[in-house]
Amino acid sequence: MIGWLTAALFLSFWTGSVFGASVAVEDALGRNVQVTLPIQRIVVLNSDVVEILRTLKAEDRVVGVFSEISREPEFWGDLVKKPKVGSWRDPDMEAIAALKPDLVIAYSRNPGPLLEQKMALFGIQVLRFDFYKVDTLEREVQVMGKLLKLEKEAARFCNWQRWYLSMFQEKIAGTSRRPAVYIESYTDYHAAGPGSGGHEMCVLAGGRNIAACLSIPYPRITPEWVVSRNPEVIVKAASHGNGYISPAPTAFNQRRDAILKRPAWHHIPAVSSGNVHVMDSAIWTGPRAIIGIAHMVRWMHPHLFRDFDPKAVHREYLETFQGVPYKGVYVSDFPKKRLP
Amino acid sequence: MNTTAEALCRCYKDRAGYKALFLCLSTALLVAAIIAGLSIGASGLSPAEIMTALFRDTGRAHSIIWMLRLPRVLMAALVGFGLGLAGTVFQAILRNPLASPFTLGVGSAAGFGAVTVILFLGGGFQIYRVAGGAFAFAMVSAFLILTVARMKRASSETMILTGIAQMFLFSSLTSLFQYMGTMEQVHEVVFWFFGSLSKAGWHEISIAAVLILAPLPMLLRRAWDFNLLAAGDDSAMALGVDVEKLRMWGIVAGSLMTAGSICFTGVIGFVGLVAPHITRMVIGADHRFLLPAAGLVGAVVVVAADTLGRTLWAPQVIPIGIVTSFIGVPFFFYLLMRRTKEYW
Repeated sequence: MIGWLTAALFLSFWTGSVFGASVAVEDALGRNVQVTLPIQRIVVLNSDVVEILRTLKAEDRVVGVFSEISREPEFWGDLVKKPKVGSWRDPDMEAIAALKPDLVIAYSRNPGPLLEQKMALFGIQVLRFDFYKVDTLEREVQVMGKLLKLEKEAARFCNWQRWYLSMFQEKIAGTSRRPAVYIESYTDYHAAGPGSGGHEMCVLAGGRNIAACLSIPYPRITPEWVVSRNPEVIVKAASHGNGYISPAPTAFNQRRDAILKRPAWHHIPAVSSGNVHVMDSAIWTGPRAIIGIAHMVRWMHPHLFRDFDPKAVHREYLETFQGVPYKGVYVSDFPKKRLP
Repeated sequence: MNTTAEALCRCYKDRAGYKALFLCLSTALLVAAIIAGLSIGASGLSPAEIMTALFRDTGRAHSIIWMLRLPRVLMAALVGFGLGLAGTVFQAILRNPLASPFTLGVGSAAGFGAVTVILFLGGGFQIYRVAGGAFAFAMVSAFLILTVARMKRASSETMILTGIAQMFLFSSLTSLFQYMGTMEQVHEVVFWFFGSLSKAGWHEISIAAVLILAPLPMLLRRAWDFNLLAAGDDSAMALGVDVEKLRMWGIVAGSLMTAGSICFTGVIGFVGLVAPHITRMVIGADHRFLLPAAGLVGAVVVVAADTLGRTLWAPQVIPIGIVTSFIGVPFFFYLLMRRTKEYW
């Protein structure tokens, strides 16, 4: 009897690996997708996915990458040499199919549903994850860990991130002060409103986003409105190319100085006190949002985080999870004195 | 005979008076639009505070009025004036109702210049770099039209076809560059194409004013020539107009005004096409009146659109390019349906 049971168990594992067991997962679109296992060949269509796969030590399963990855060869290392499948917004379906992947991973909105339709013709599975969203990042990393049978690695990253978030929350809970913050997205005079990654980061860092009452994620606003809201801290997202190899914060400082010089903004407390900061896209939302939040807590609650070093958190992340040395510049300096 | 001449003279004077009245009304409407634009804003200043801030340094209110609202409203007026005037000039020299700074490719070229700078020339003084790129390529576009036109004796068909061809060329190049850009750069490009007056400052206004207003005296001096050109190239030439030269100057002046209008604000389409038509429907095609009046109508449309754009959904701002279409198109249709005879 025991022999029969053992044989049946062995057979079920064998058929599972050869003919493909499956697991049901929920992706960023809220779809319940039955994914056939094992996943050994993955095509990735954005940098957030690549970063998460590297965190899970699954980069060797990547067989195809989006073309824009070539812009940061120093950060991505050998992944840049993988076959390219075109732009993250409009990939080459034929190139993806030729790589015969078990799974293609894309953002929830880009590319459009045509990706699923075309990949279905080749029996290729598609999953959509938005690793740039802070509130769903942990859940999605755990789903990836489950799919790739790398639950331990996923838990390690989630615990690490959770530890810092808890530490921030505990310290911030000690004060009722919530500074008014103006978060400006990449385009000038576009606030980060409710539903945006910048808003989530601001709230997690213990700030009061002045655009929280607006109705869309990235509303265009007038400079006068910002003046009338009196923000105590201003944080702007910027993308100056490859932050990992930036030797100095010159470009960030130029952006910050431009904000300090905006007409009539000298009446804003954040500007008069010099509490204006520019943050690189690498730590603005996405898998490294925790690093961005680490900088924000220091800007918003300097008295609570005086001895806290966000760079150390970043170093830990890069060296532990990404396997690359800490390099680059990701935020502007504190201005030495207020500009005229 | 005498009576007929007197009647004709009276009729002419009446019509000229009517046109002059329209000019006065447009000016009054523009002043009212500017006052409305100056009075409305996110910080909720009262009329008394605004009046005080206009003439005395009252700190924050003074800065808001003099550094934010006034430059914004004046830039809107200037841009609308420039686009309305440029559209009238293009329509006159090409004798085509569809001609505008954008159908001639000047707007597309300016957009391409802006995109090139946004994508490849980052760094400080971004607004001036983008404006410089937009201006330079608008001039390249004008030069292209001029070169082809000179080779083909400046016929209106050649100019329009050259304009359309380069509009497609610059649009394709813009799309290609956007395709190569990062997500953030694409956002910036998209919003440049929506148009915005948020970056208007006194320095920007002074540069735009020079570019927009410098060709104005020459255009007004050639108003009779534009009128004669409406009768056809041969008739105009028979009456002593150097048609080729007039077209060349018209292209240069229109491009200069278009570039000056959009280089700091991004694309504010539609005004250049419709402001001349709206004005022509009301006062006819006498360019002595049409040129300044179309400019004033364009200015009213843009100032009103900006004020509506920042109040309808306050504090969120609806991009000005969208609002100009929303308020201009229904009004244009209304006038079009009311007209019982051909106006062009």
